[in-house]
Formats: sequence, C-alpha cells, structure tokens
Amino acid sequence: MHHLVIDRWSRGSSSLHQRDPRAKLAALLTFLIVLSTTRPAAQAAFAAYAVLLIITASRARLPILGLAGRAALVLPFSATFALLTWWSGDSMRALALAEKSFLSGMAALLLVATTPLTGWTAALESWHVPRMLILVIQFVYRYLFVIAEQAQRMRWAALCRGRGSFGLAAGLVGVLFARSWQRADGIYHAMLARGFRGRFVPAVPVPLGASDALFLSACLAGCLGIRILL
Amino acid sequence: MHIPDGFLSTPVWATLDVISAPAVAWTARRAQRDTQDHRIPLLGVMGAFVFAAQMVNFPVGPGTSGHLVGGALLTVVLGPAAASLVLTAILVLQALIFQDGGVLALGANIFNMALAGVAAAYLSYRLWGQASRSTAIFAAGALSVMTSACLALGQLLISGVPMTAGVWWASLGLFLISALMEGAITVAAVRAIERLNPAWVGGPQPASSRTVAGVGLAALILLVVGTLLASIAPDGIQRLTGQGVDSTTWPQRTKGGLAGVAMIFALCYLAGKLKSRRRSA
Repeated sequence: MHHLVIDRWSRGSSSLHQRDPRAKLAALLTFLIVLSTTRPAAQAAFAAYAVLLIITASRARLPILGLAGRAALVLPFSATFALLTWWSGDSMRALALAEKSFLSGMAALLLVATTPLTGWTAALESWHVPRMLILVIQFVYRYLFVIAEQAQRMRWAALCRGRGSFGLAAGLVGVLFARSWQRADGIYHAMLARGFRGRFVPAVPVPLGASDALFLSACLAGCLGIRILL
Repeated sequence: MHIPDGFLSTPVWATLDVISAPAVAWTARRAQRDTQDHRIPLLGVMGAFVFAAQMVNFPVGPGTSGHLVGGALLTVVLGPAAASLVLTAILVLQALIFQDGGVLALGANIFNMALAGVAAAYLSYRLWGQASRSTAIFAAGALSVMTSACLALGQLLISGVPMTAGVWWASLGLFLISALMEGAITVAAVRAIERLNPAWVGGPQPASSRTVAGVGLAALILLVVGTLLASIAPDGIQRLTGQGVDSTTWPQRTKGGLAGVAMIFALCYLAGKLKSRRRSA
C-alpha cells in the first residue's frame, strides 16, 4: 500500500506551509462556515470560492488536479443526494449540494496538504481539545498504515488458500486483533525504554507572528467579501 | 454514514457541534481516569486496527459481502469511554485526511457514531450480557449501526434534504440489513478474539443496575425515534409540500422508523429472554 501523498505534500516549504497551523485552522473554519451559509442561488459566489481555493493551492505549489481528484472522493455520496434533490424539482439546490460538499473537501485538504499532522494536532491542543484525544489521533495515524498493510497481506494469503468464508474472515479479524494488541504492548515497552514516565511534555505555545495575522485577515476578508458581495 | 459538509443546515450542524464538544471532553476525561499508562498506545493501535479490519470482507449470503464497522467491537473490548474516544479520533482523521465526512459536520458524525452508537452498544451489552453474551453482542452491533444510521437520516431530513417515501423505505431496509450484518460479524469477531485469549474481552459488569441500562436504552431509542419524528415537524412538511411531495405519506414513514427500531429491539429482547430461560431451566 502506498503511503499517503498528503504526507509528502505537507512537507513542502511554500509560504503557506510556513504559516502557523492555528491561523490555517481558523481560516479553514471561517471558509467552511461562510460556505455553509451561502444561499444555493448565489452561483457566482461558489465560483469565487473555487477561485479563492485555486489561488491558495497555487500559492502552496500544490498540484491542483491531484487535490481536486482527492476532494472528488466525496462526490459519489453527494451526487446521490443531489440527484434525489434534482428529481424533487429543486435543481439549484441539487447543484449547490454537490458544490458545497466538493469545495468543503477541497478546503480541508488544503489544510492537511500544507500542515503536517503534528502541526494541526498542536493547533487543536492549543484550543483545549482534550490531550487524550490528541494522543489517540496521533497514535492511530502513526499505526494506520502499518496495520492496514498487515491486514492486506493476511487477506491475500487467505485468498491464495481458497475462497473466503465467514469463519475465515472472523479468524482473520481475530488474529489481526491479537497482533495489534501485542504491537501495542511492544510500543509501550519501547516508550518506557526511551524514558517515558507516564506523561507527555506539552510544547510551549508561540504567539502568532505578523505574517500569520496578515494571512488570516486576508482569508477572512476574502471569504466575507465574497459572501456579502455576491 | 459519514455526513459531508454542505448537507446539514446551519442550525443542525451548529447544535450538534455544541452538544458533541462537551461530551467528547467528558468521555476523554473518563477514558483518562480509567486508563493506565500502557493503555494510551493500546487505544491508538486499536483505532488503527478498526481501520484495517474494515478492509476484511465477510461473505454474507450469495453475492453479497459486508465488513465490520467496529463500534460495538471496541465497546465490548475497551469499554464505552475508551471506545467513544477512539471512534472520535478515527472520525477526526477521516474528516481531515480521508475526505470521509465533513469538518463542520464532525459534531453530527461524532454524535451519531461515537456517542449514540457506542451508547447503544454499551447499554445493550450491559442489559443482555448476563443472560446470553452472544445475543448481547449481536444486539450491541445491530443497535449501534441502526442508531447511527437512523440519526444520520433524521438529521439529513431535518436539514431539508428531500426524500421520497420510496427512498426512505429503501434506506431503512438497507440500514436494517447492515445492522443485522454488523451484529453477526461482531459476534464472530469477538468469538475469534476470545479463542486466542479470553482475557482480552472483558465480561459485562455485574447486573446490579440492569434497570438503569434498560431505561438508558429506551431513552436512546426514544431519541432516535424522536429525531425521525422531528424530521417531519411542521416546517419540514411545509418545505416539502412546497416542493410537491404529498404530506400525507409522512406519518407512515414515522411508523416505518418506529417499526424498524422496535423490531430489532423486540427481536433482541426475545432472543435474550429465550436464552436466559433455557439456561435457568
């Protein structure tokens, strides 16, 4: 299995990559709220939002088609509901539904494609999201691909030995569980061996810089301007 | 079942975000209190395990297959607070990295799956666990999926996403099938885990407060039914009649929602009773 392309993108060095994650997270939330409250009839506004996202992506030197392709993962779900809305006679709302979900996905992608996981989790932590939740998020992400790869290999091995059955699949999940449990034990002992004393030392928060403030106010002005004018 | 952004109306997602935030803080505190040091990596690795276990296909009947959703399995293995925390972490990662579910809709998705879904699993495991573990685990899997799915459907309807009666019934039927599948898969997975090491799966707590669990479960089911009912509140009907949908079909749809949940409830309850009677006889 391939590691996420997002990981590679997030290690870039553009001006957007260097902004404080808190400023980027605040900008994302503003964009999403503004987008969510835009009327379905304001199609010009949706086009303007898309232009805003494209400008941001090119400032971050990210491949726009690659981003759009990943954001399109949401489309099967929203297209289903958009079709239902279309049939009930509200074509404008149907269009807006698909546009809103696509643009929201694109905006969230822009955050994670310019910010490594440690960055945005630190931002969440500085906003008093429970520490325990942050730790679990970081551990899940760290071991996600390790265990998914293991599951993939076990599945292939099982398929090579014949047609799958219900019991076989259950056994597979059981063994995967056992291995995950043992891995967690190993991780804990490795942490102890490296001097873990039962708590993590939080990073000292740094105040927002002038360029971060400038970036955030530019995003706010862009979003609100489009929302009010168009 | 992950609601993307753009589907829920502003009052709906804002309300659910406001409800979910303190609830997540509370479950995180609880999980931290019950957790020894070595459980911190364990919770993370269990989250990754659920991600991976969803890739394993279970053949269910001719030509169809399903996969584990995992909420009930985590609840049975880790306990409710830790399970809820792990599911929340998974939902955050899915919303931001995997484009599965929205960021503003995160509160709604956490409420449906990590809070209500885990509560349904925990309460049914606790209520029927003494009588028959397999039935209780089956009920935990089925009810957790049914609760999350019905809540998501109700929230979409309250937000004014139009739906014809046919689609409504079809989705309810699909939910029922996937709920039953999740029940069966969870039972099989827990059995397989127990065969490897029985110590990994904790039994349900002593039946000191079965009534509490029963009342809690009844309240949860009322909440689900209430959400489906609220989705046909007057303003919803007005909006829909404005779009040319016959409002007289609405009461029937509620009956469907009620009937679906009540049927699962009754089935599980009867199965539990039967099994416990057989055991005591």
